[in-house]
Amino acid sequence: MAPRETNPNFMNGVPELLILRLLQQEEMYGYEIVQAIRSRTDTVIAVGEGVVYPVLHGLERDGALKARRKTVNGRSRIYYTVTPVGSRRLADLSEVWTNLSGAIQKMLTGGQYGEATP
Amino acid sequence: MAKPLPELRERLLRAGIAPRYVRRYLAELTDHLADLTAEEQRAGRSRADAETAALLRLGGIDELSNAMTKQRQLQSWSVRAPWATFGLAPLFLLAGAWFAALFILWSGWKMFLPGADTPFGGHHVSGFVNLYFQADRALYFGAPILIGWGIGLIAARQRLKAVWPIAGLFLIALIGGTAQVHASRTTVPHGLGHIGMDFTLGSTMPLIPYALFHALAILSLTVLPYLLWRLQKAHSLFA
Repeated sequence: MAPRETNPNFMNGVPELLILRLLQQEEMYGYEIVQAIRSRTDTVIAVGEGVVYPVLHGLERDGALKARRKTVNGRSRIYYTVTPVGSRRLADLSEVWTNLSGAIQKMLTGGQYGEATP
Repeated sequence: MAKPLPELRERLLRAGIAPRYVRRYLAELTDHLADLTAEEQRAGRSRADAETAALLRLGGIDELSNAMTKQRQLQSWSVRAPWATFGLAPLFLLAGAWFAALFILWSGWKMFLPGADTPFGGHHVSGFVNLYFQADRALYFGAPILIGWGIGLIAARQRLKAVWPIAGLFLIALIGGTAQVHASRTTVPHGLGHIGMDFTLGSTMPLIPYALFHALAILSLTVLPYLLWRLQKAHSLFA
C-alpha cells in the first residue's frame, strides 16, 4: 500500500487553530478530533493522524488546553477542553488567519482579474 | 504498531522528550490505532488489511517523531538545563539531607547526651537512642549514594549522553568524600553545643587517604549502577 499524500505544511500553526476551534465547541479525544477535522474540511487537510497528539500536548503544556481522563463504553480516553488562555489564543490565531487568507484571496483575485503587467 | 512503538519511544527519549509525555503519546497512539483498525474493519477490510491501513493513517515513524520533537516545551529539564538537573539540584538535595542529618544529630545530643562534650564515639547508648543515632548516620552517609542513584536513573531512563551525569556523580562523590562534621560544646555559651561542617581533604596526613577512599567508594557505588542501567537499556533496545 502506497503512503498517503499529506500536507507537509499542516503543522505550521493550522492544527492549533483547528483544534482550538473544535474543542471550543465541545470536549473531544484525539481520534474524535481527527475525524472532525477530516469531515469538516472535506479531507482537504490530510495528515498522519498521530501528529495531532504532540500539538495537543504542546497546547496543554502552554495552558491553552486542559486534559482529563474519562471512561466511556469501558474505554479510558483523554479528553481535552479549551481554557481561557486557549480561547484568547484561538481569537489571536483566527484574526491572523483571517487576515492572511483575505490577503491571499485578494492576491489571487488580483492576479486573475487585475490589470495585465508589461 | 508492536514494532514501531518501541522504536518511536527510543527516538523520542533520545531527542530529549520528557518520559511522561513519551508514555502518554504512545498510550494515545495505541488507542488511536485500535480505533482506526476497528473503523477499517467496519469498512469491510480483513483484520490484517485493516491493521496495515490503520498504520498508514496513523503516520510513519519519522512523521510521528518529528511532530513531537518540534514541540520544544515537551523536552525534559535534564535536556534543557543539564547543569541544573545534574549540578545544582543534587547539591541542593544533598544540602537538605545533610541539614536534616545534622539537626537529628544535634537534637539527639541535646536530648540523650546532655552531659557529653561531643555526640561522637564512646557513649553507651541502646534501644531507641541507638536507633535514633544510627538512622542519623544512615541519612548522612546514604544521602550522596541515593542522590547518585537518582542521577544515574534519570540519565539512563532518558537515554542521555554520559557527560553531564558523570560530572554530577563526580561532584557528589567529591563533596561526599571531603565533608567533615565537627561538634563542640565548649565554643558556645550556655552549653548548647555547636555542630558544623567543612569540606577539606584534611589538615593531617591520615585524613587525606580517608577522604579519597570515601569519595571513591561513593563514586563506585553510584557509577556502577548507572553503567549497568545504560547497558541494560542498550541491550533491551537491540534485543
